[in-house]
Amino acid sequence: MNCAECRDNLVACAEGLLDRETLLECRAHLETCASCRAEYQAIASLQQRLVARGQAAAEVSLVAPVMQRVLQKQRESEGESFMSKILKHRWGFGLGTATGAAAILLIALLTLPKMQATAEEVMTRGAQVVAKLTSIRFRGELRTWPVDNFGYINADCPFCPIELWKQFEPQLKWRIEKPGRVVVMDGESTVMLLKPEHVAVKHPFRTTSAFDTDWLQQIANVSETISNELDNARAKGWKLSLKQEAGTDGRLESVVTILAKTTVPANDYEKNNWIWTADTRRVYRFDAQSGLLEAMQVYLLRPSGDVKIFDLSQIDYNQPIEPGVWTLELPADVSWVQNQLPTLTNNAVYAAMTPEQAAKAFFEACSRNDWGEAGKFLVESPVPNMLKQKLGGLQIISIGTAFTSAAGKDQIVPYEIKLQYGTNRKWNLALAKDQASGRWFVDGGLP
Amino acid sequence: MDLTDKEYVEHCRDGHPEDFGLLVERYQKPLFAYLAGRVGDSGQAEEAAQESFVRAFMSLKKLRKPESFYSWLVGIASRVAREQFRSSARRQRDREVAERMMTDATDSNKEYPLEEAIAGLPESHRQVILLRYYERLSCQEIATRLGAPLGTVTKTLSRAYALLRQELAAREGAEPTVNQTQQL
Repeated sequence: MNCAECRDNLVACAEGLLDRETLLECRAHLETCASCRAEYQAIASLQQRLVARGQAAAEVSLVAPVMQRVLQKQRESEGESFMSKILKHRWGFGLGTATGAAAILLIALLTLPKMQATAEEVMTRGAQVVAKLTSIRFRGELRTWPVDNFGYINADCPFCPIELWKQFEPQLKWRIEKPGRVVVMDGESTVMLLKPEHVAVKHPFRTTSAFDTDWLQQIANVSETISNELDNARAKGWKLSLKQEAGTDGRLESVVTILAKTTVPANDYEKNNWIWTADTRRVYRFDAQSGLLEAMQVYLLRPSGDVKIFDLSQIDYNQPIEPGVWTLELPADVSWVQNQLPTLTNNAVYAAMTPEQAAKAFFEACSRNDWGEAGKFLVESPVPNMLKQKLGGLQIISIGTAFTSAAGKDQIVPYEIKLQYGTNRKWNLALAKDQASGRWFVDGGLP
Repeated sequence: MDLTDKEYVEHCRDGHPEDFGLLVERYQKPLFAYLAGRVGDSGQAEEAAQESFVRAFMSLKKLRKPESFYSWLVGIASRVAREQFRSSARRQRDREVAERMMTDATDSNKEYPLEEAIAGLPESHRQVILLRYYERLSCQEIATRLGAPLGTVTKTLSRAYALLRQELAAREGAEPTVNQTQQL
């Protein structure tokens, strides 16, 4: 290989995209040519800087807060209608003392020209009445495992309670909790605790969303969620329908149903495993008089029949939130997740592994109770006791061939193991590559 | 395939303000990284990034070259970052402290010119850099996303690296400068 050919291949080489033969030729040339070697090092150095910049911004999620402000500004600039002023006034009182305002609202409604509301009008009004929230709290149920990710769904699971508290003013704070995990953003930092494992992970900065809670955060930003649903329905041709129903307390509800389809293929491994990879029917229940969103249900669309996977039954708007909600008690033996894996002295050995080799090496270390070695494939440090108890002394039955999903970046390695107490587990290990060290780490799929 | 910045800007101007969310999604990470480098604090960077996007939206009609949206946005962000420092100085009634903060932040992180240099890339090159490093997609995933052959992606990446290195070399040791001809 000459210099020109080598330089043509440098980026592919740095990206690990060359076939073995070309890679060896390229490496051989780099060993002998100082000029090409310097060029390669310059590319690698730039790549490292870019990787670091990308990592620093990995958790940033500005779309919701920006669009909330942007659409609010636009509404203001377009001038406020009499109706929106009345509604805003009502929210200024807070819901607990809104009787008088409700009466004003009723008068306003009765004086409007009689018309048949469409689903879009109901949604638009629903977005307007909650345009200025100071806080929100909701409780619901999700079909999922208590310890699993906040976005994970499984139609075969029983319902699991899930709760959110969010304060918008004077300072953004939020907490989301289900039986197996909790995240608290106290205005300064964001910490998630996996309760059974005693594992915690911290972002030392405030976030608008983190740890897979994005979809719940979106629901909490009610006005924007409703607007987004409408926009998506218009852009993607999702079907909207409206009907009037009597609610459980006899009051009239405007019920808007949306059929939402994702672009994830039906045969994808992650299809219907996550709220955002699922084809769903979403049902929004608004109070017919106030226009307020009072409940929401999400149904998973399956050929065998629709299954309700999320039921949001209680929403409290603008109620004071106890300060204790923003405090997270951590267990004394908590293990912390490292944001970046350290580079090992023999790092190259691990960086060169295939996903299958990494999965095998990890399970073999567990089988030997060699937690120093197993820890090289984990972001938690030290290795959590619960993991040691569960995986120590296991036997590997089989390791399959890695595959990927259109919905994620992980390599997924099928495996079957026998746990030390005799239980067989057949599942898929998700492995992700740490950008800095180039090593695989376990990103999910442990028993 | 994703629309271009110009197309999104034109959609926003044509009565689809919700499309601005797609521009926010596209640039939120590099803009945050840029501002974190400028102000040295992630909380302030997030506030500044939000403010920059909102100002950009409100002034979208003034943008003369929609295809230069990101470069224009970085110019706005640069101004917002400076305003944050000035505001901090007013609050503390001690301009010297603010000057020192600015110097410290500038000294502690020399990486923000990287985002300025990215802003100056041609759109197709910038898109690949953003997907690779800020969305953390592999080259193969980028190829799938863009509907382009893998070889095209690596060639674009290669050219983008060359342009970035050239720009960064020119900026070395220089104060941050952004083409602010269209700034607010």
